[in-house]
Amino acid sequence: MPAQDYIPIDQNWLGNAGKLWTTPWVDKPSDRVIVDPIILSHAATLFRKNAGYFYSNPDEAVRMVCAACELYDVTPVGHYLYADYWGADYGAEIKIQTNAPPGITNRPIKTAEDVDKFEVLSTEELVKGPTLATHYKALDTVKNEYPQMFAPITQLGGTMEVATNWASIEDVFMWMITEPELVDKLCIKAGDHMVNACRATAERYGANVMITGSVIASGDLMDREQIKRFSYQPVSRAVRKVLSAGAGPGVYYHLCGNHTDDFDLWKDAPMSPFTIVQIGYDGQKIFPTSKLVENFGDRCTCFGTVDTKLVDRGTPAQVYAQAKEQVLAGKDSPRGFILGTACECPTNAPPVNVHALVRAAKDFGKYEKF
Amino acid sequence: MDIKITEQVDNLLKDNGVRKEEILDIIKKAESSGQKLKSKDGNTCIAKGASENLTIYAVYSATELLDVYAHKMNILGITGGEIKPVEYDDASDWICAKCGEVALERNVDMSYLGVTRPGPGLVCAKCGEMYVSAGMAKSTLKTAEAILEEKRA
Repeated sequence: MPAQDYIPIDQNWLGNAGKLWTTPWVDKPSDRVIVDPIILSHAATLFRKNAGYFYSNPDEAVRMVCAACELYDVTPVGHYLYADYWGADYGAEIKIQTNAPPGITNRPIKTAEDVDKFEVLSTEELVKGPTLATHYKALDTVKNEYPQMFAPITQLGGTMEVATNWASIEDVFMWMITEPELVDKLCIKAGDHMVNACRATAERYGANVMITGSVIASGDLMDREQIKRFSYQPVSRAVRKVLSAGAGPGVYYHLCGNHTDDFDLWKDAPMSPFTIVQIGYDGQKIFPTSKLVENFGDRCTCFGTVDTKLVDRGTPAQVYAQAKEQVLAGKDSPRGFILGTACECPTNAPPVNVHALVRAAKDFGKYEKF
Repeated sequence: MDIKITEQVDNLLKDNGVRKEEILDIIKKAESSGQKLKSKDGNTCIAKGASENLTIYAVYSATELLDVYAHKMNILGITGGEIKPVEYDDASDWICAKCGEVALERNVDMSYLGVTRPGPGLVCAKCGEMYVSAGMAKSTLKTAEAILEEKRA
C-alpha cells in the first residue's frame, strides 16, 4: 500500500510513547516500562501480507511496522532488517522466502584460500551495494514519512554472524577445529566490515545505533573459549573502532540464544552512553531479568526478554505470566529497562500474545524509582 | 616549553571555547606533575584539565599544540567500580607518563545533566587516572551530549 493508504500516526499516542521510550536512555521520568517486541515481518501479517512481501518492499515494510507500533502501543521506531545482511554485497545470493526472512543460498567464500583473498569493501562501496540500498530505502521512508519514529540503525550481528554470511556455517565451524587461525582472519575482516558499514549509516544520518553481539556464537554451538576468541574479542575490537570513528553512539548487544557460559564476558565489552544489553536464554530457559540486572544493571540499559517460542506458540496467559515476572525484576534497573522478546517477534505470532506482553508492562511495569 | 599554536589549532581553541592561556596552563601543569599520557614513540602527549562543567584536552609535541578537544560529560570512575582483568586486548597506544604503565581501554562512568552512563575511556591501572581519546570525545561523546541536552530539556 502506498503512504496515503495508511492513517496518520496518532500524535497523542506518539508523544506518550516517545516519553516512555526516552526514559531508559536518559532517566527522564515517565509512567511505565516501554515494550519492544522487535516487530519486523510480524507487522506484515497484520496486513495479510507475508514475510516475502515485507522484505521485497522495504518502504512499505516500515509503514507496516510503524502502524503496528501504534496498534500494539510499543517502542515508536520504524525498523527494517534481517539476519543475513551483507552476503549479497560480496557476491552471495539472497533468496526471498514466503514465510521467513531472506536467506543466503550461495556464499562467496568456499575455500581457505578464499579467506586470504577476501577483501572487505570500503564504506563508499558498501553504500552502493544491495544491502544498504535496501536498508536506506526503508530508513529514508521512516525519516520522510514518520520523522518522529526515525532512529537510524545498522544491522551488523557479531563477527561470527558476518563471517557465516560470507562462508558456510559448516566450513567456518570445521575451520574452528582444523584451522582456527583462518577463522581469526575471517573475524578480523568481519570486524573491519562492521566499522565501514556503521560509518556509512552515521555519515548518511548523523548518528547510528549498531546492532551487534553474538547469535551464532552462543552456548548451543560454541564453548566459552570459542565464543571469546571468535566473537567477544573481535566484536569488542570492532565496537571500539566504530565508536572511535564517530559511527555510533548507540550500541545494542543482542546476545541471542543460550549464553549461560559466556554472558559475563560481555560485562566489560566496550560501551557508549547509549548501550543496551539483551540476552536471550540461560540454558534452555529464558534469561532471568533478575540475573541480567544483577550483572549489567549498574553498567547500561537492560533489555529483559520473554521467550519468542512462547510468543509464537504459547497462550496469552503464559506470555503475560512470564512478562510479569521479567518486568517486575527489571523495571527499576538503575540505568534503564526495556521489556521485549528474546529475538525478533515471530512472523506469525498471534497478535493477542503481543498484546499480552504489552499488558503485563502496563499492569506491572510502573516505575517506583522516580 | 615554548609551544607553537598554528592558526588551525587556534580555531579549534575558539570552537571549544578555550583560551590560549588556559590550554598552555594545562600543558604546564601536566609537564611539571608528569600526569599525562605519552604516545609509545614518546613524540606526542595528552594533558587534561577538568573543571566542574568541562574537561579539556591538549594533544601536543615538544614544540607544537597539535589538537584540542573537550567533553562536558564528567568522568566519575571505572564502570563496575574497579579495574579487573578483561578477556580482550585492552592495551591502548598510550602510556601513563607518571607510572610508565600502558593505558587501558576501559569503560568509565560519565555523568551529564543528572544521567550517568558508561563511555569509552583510557585508564592507567596503577594511578587510576582516566582520559578520553580525541576520536571518542569528538564523535561519540559529542553526539551523546547533544542527545542528552535535547532529551533532558
